[in-house]
Amino acid sequence: MRKIFTVGILTAFSFELLAGGFQINQQSHKATGMGGAFTGLCIDASSIFYNPGGLYKLKGHQFTGGFTLIDPHVSLQTDANDNIDQTTGNATPFHFYYSGQFINEKLRIGFGVNNQFGSSSSFDDDWEGRFIVQNIGLQTFMFQPTVSYAILDEKLSIGAGFVYTAGNFHYEKGVPLASKDNEYGKATLSGSGNAMGFNVGVFSTPYKLEKEDYVFSVSVGLDYRHKLKMDLDNGNVDFTDIPSSLRDKFPESTGFTSSLTLPAVASGGIALTYEKPEKIKVDLLYDLTRTFWSSYDTLAFDFENADTPDSKTPKNWEDVFVHRIGLNITYKEFISVRGGIYMDQSPIPDGRVSPELPDNSHTGYTAGIGVNITDNISVDLSYLRSAFERPNASLTTEGFTASYRRIVNVYGIGINVKFGENKTTEAPSIE
Amino acid sequence: MNNNFITMKKILPIFILSLTILSCTKTQFEDRVKNTGSIDVSNYVSVGNSLTQGFQDNGLYAETQAWSYPALIAQQMKLANPNMPDFKQPMAIGNGSGYMHLEFIDNEITPIRPDDPTYGGPYREDPTWPDWQDYVKGPKYNNLGIAGIQLRNAIGLDNNQRIYNHVFLDGISTLNIQGNPYARFLDWGDSPLLFGTPKEYVDHMRESNATFFTNWLGNNDVLGYATSGGDEGEFTIPFVGTFKASELTPVAEFRQKYDSVLSALTVNGAKGVCATIPDVTSIPLFNTVTLESLGKDIWIYENDGSTKRLAEEGDLILLTALTEIEDNGKGTENDPLPHTLVLDKAEAKRAQDHTILLNNEIKGLAAKYGVPVVDTYEILKTFESGMKMSGIDLNIKYVEGGLFSLDGVHPNPKGYAIVANEFIKVINQSYGANIPLIDITRYRSVIFPN
Repeated sequence: MRKIFTVGILTAFSFELLAGGFQINQQSHKATGMGGAFTGLCIDASSIFYNPGGLYKLKGHQFTGGFTLIDPHVSLQTDANDNIDQTTGNATPFHFYYSGQFINEKLRIGFGVNNQFGSSSSFDDDWEGRFIVQNIGLQTFMFQPTVSYAILDEKLSIGAGFVYTAGNFHYEKGVPLASKDNEYGKATLSGSGNAMGFNVGVFSTPYKLEKEDYVFSVSVGLDYRHKLKMDLDNGNVDFTDIPSSLRDKFPESTGFTSSLTLPAVASGGIALTYEKPEKIKVDLLYDLTRTFWSSYDTLAFDFENADTPDSKTPKNWEDVFVHRIGLNITYKEFISVRGGIYMDQSPIPDGRVSPELPDNSHTGYTAGIGVNITDNISVDLSYLRSAFERPNASLTTEGFTASYRRIVNVYGIGINVKFGENKTTEAPSIE
Repeated sequence: MNNNFITMKKILPIFILSLTILSCTKTQFEDRVKNTGSIDVSNYVSVGNSLTQGFQDNGLYAETQAWSYPALIAQQMKLANPNMPDFKQPMAIGNGSGYMHLEFIDNEITPIRPDDPTYGGPYREDPTWPDWQDYVKGPKYNNLGIAGIQLRNAIGLDNNQRIYNHVFLDGISTLNIQGNPYARFLDWGDSPLLFGTPKEYVDHMRESNATFFTNWLGNNDVLGYATSGGDEGEFTIPFVGTFKASELTPVAEFRQKYDSVLSALTVNGAKGVCATIPDVTSIPLFNTVTLESLGKDIWIYENDGSTKRLAEEGDLILLTALTEIEDNGKGTENDPLPHTLVLDKAEAKRAQDHTILLNNEIKGLAAKYGVPVVDTYEILKTFESGMKMSGIDLNIKYVEGGLFSLDGVHPNPKGYAIVANEFIKVINQSYGANIPLIDITRYRSVIFPN
């Protein structure tokens, strides 16, 4: 009675890697406090990232470093489950910038390191969407040597940085194949790669009104950060708990290649500054940012093992605008209080919302304070909150629909150190 | 400096306090209100055939019978109404009738029948199976599904039909004719052949006192014909007459009997749900062995077996013909495939057309009784080109498609969970109920061999 029968090729597995806006916008805690609007203002070394064209404004040698604690809370509701919580832990991206004045008044040389893109998400092992994603994480490190030059002093300065990126990711999901021993198998992918790009900016203070007791100025800035195409040539996937009769297609381990494009970002910003020296300073900022997510169009995995079905997932993301408004009030050159708001458009169209990083257009609120502990050392604290709901959002390529709620609290602390400012200052009083 | 620090000491606590207030992080969704709407689930009764009984892998066995779609519907109803009594099924014991499984032999995944002398062992008929009736006869069951039953076996329109149905269901012990082994959990009364009074399937329905029912009868009124390769299965009961076990049930007869079934089920005012007959030619039994997969010409006997010709596109070779082709060398010009193993083009067309006619009857009569319909015909069509659910690829292919069990006719556990969800959706929609859907990822597809 034995029947010879060959099972055909199993349908390709798609890998829904990082289907969510995974940009990390907290690259300075001054900026974060002010809704992230920082392209038209240059007050610390984080302009290496936000607009290297503005470094002219920084005298001497200045350092800015900071840590961010991202605390995400995401819940889902599906037809079958009333509530599912992500088990994602906190993320702690950091940044460090240096800007130094060399040779003459007009030249700055600087360096920056930060994590511009990244995300991580995880779920309980047995959750409903485990065949889409179980755990996922992406980390990127950007290294940016930078030169800035004030061609026309305050009227026009430019800056450019070379960006080297190293990134790594891991991704784990269930494979819906049952054997006697296991209800389903697992695929664990990991890979790393690097990419090169650049960051260029222009900065200008076209208008400055200097009166006896106050100064009013208008600054504008433009910045463009090029896309970063990361080739993942050395990817590896481990398949575990796979029925041994299907090991041809899902071997213990095989390599893969893929690539991931981190999108280009273009920003324009304007800053209005009113200052009564030694009394009060007020900055009002507006930034418009365009993130070119459409470059993230397809995610393909090409497996080394010939029998493992290759995977290609269309992403079809959209370019988005973000509006950012920020306010800074500095009292007696000592303490600054900041607030901001940003209106974020989601790059993810309907039908492409994935459970690991659901997104929706939303408005976020930020606050911050800065304290000049000494003339050379200052500390910034920032807080950002974003919250949204996205009811009945689908990921049509995976046949998954859920309602989402996400609240993200982001806390930041940064420290700024400067010396060698060519400016007469009173010696710090030590009491 | 002192002043500055005092200012800072004042501002910092305010900053931290406002953070604490703002940073509420509750994202959890409240549990939805669940209820069974306008239906009374105190006595849910399901009627139907093998699909309803929980048959799969060409067998009835305990593990998967527990996941029959009526049992799954009841499980979800109970979430909406915890007072609902347990849903009782006539459970097979252990391996029950025995069932198919897959083995990995010579690098090929091979379906094995339970009576296979080499590999069948652990999957063969349970020792209790021959006397199963001794274990299950008696109690009132909620699941009245009977593998193999056609709608037309539910009631006899004349004495001959009653005799035939009784023989089909209960056999004739005195003549040593076996009845339907899957029908042994019910009492069928006395044989009308011996002038006794039978108990018919509709009688069981009427006496079930159902407060809610699901009725998925009718599949075998087409499937029986199709799985016999269009053979009508003529057989003779001595002194009574000749019957056709697998002819397409005539539309008029189907109409009359479906009406009787709905009348019996609703006798106490029960509400319920009916389901249509899927296109039987969409199931793997008919679509797995193709000229393309065989890679060679196949000779077949057409119609009743009188003419032979080369199989062409549109002739559906049964999955069960594979053994004959591969092991016994059939399908050549000198030894064509018997007509019972091929649903030839014309027969397939007849089966398809007849399905549409019967479905029209189901829809019409259901409407007459105010009973909503789960259109399984349309639902199976949506899987023909393949789709994904919760990240799982699902289509109608044999073994790998994820929906069907190894017999190529009945769903696997995941397939049954999807069926149950379709019933629940219709119940929710039609009766204002809010019964939660099943997380289908909790139910497996076929078990691949190690």
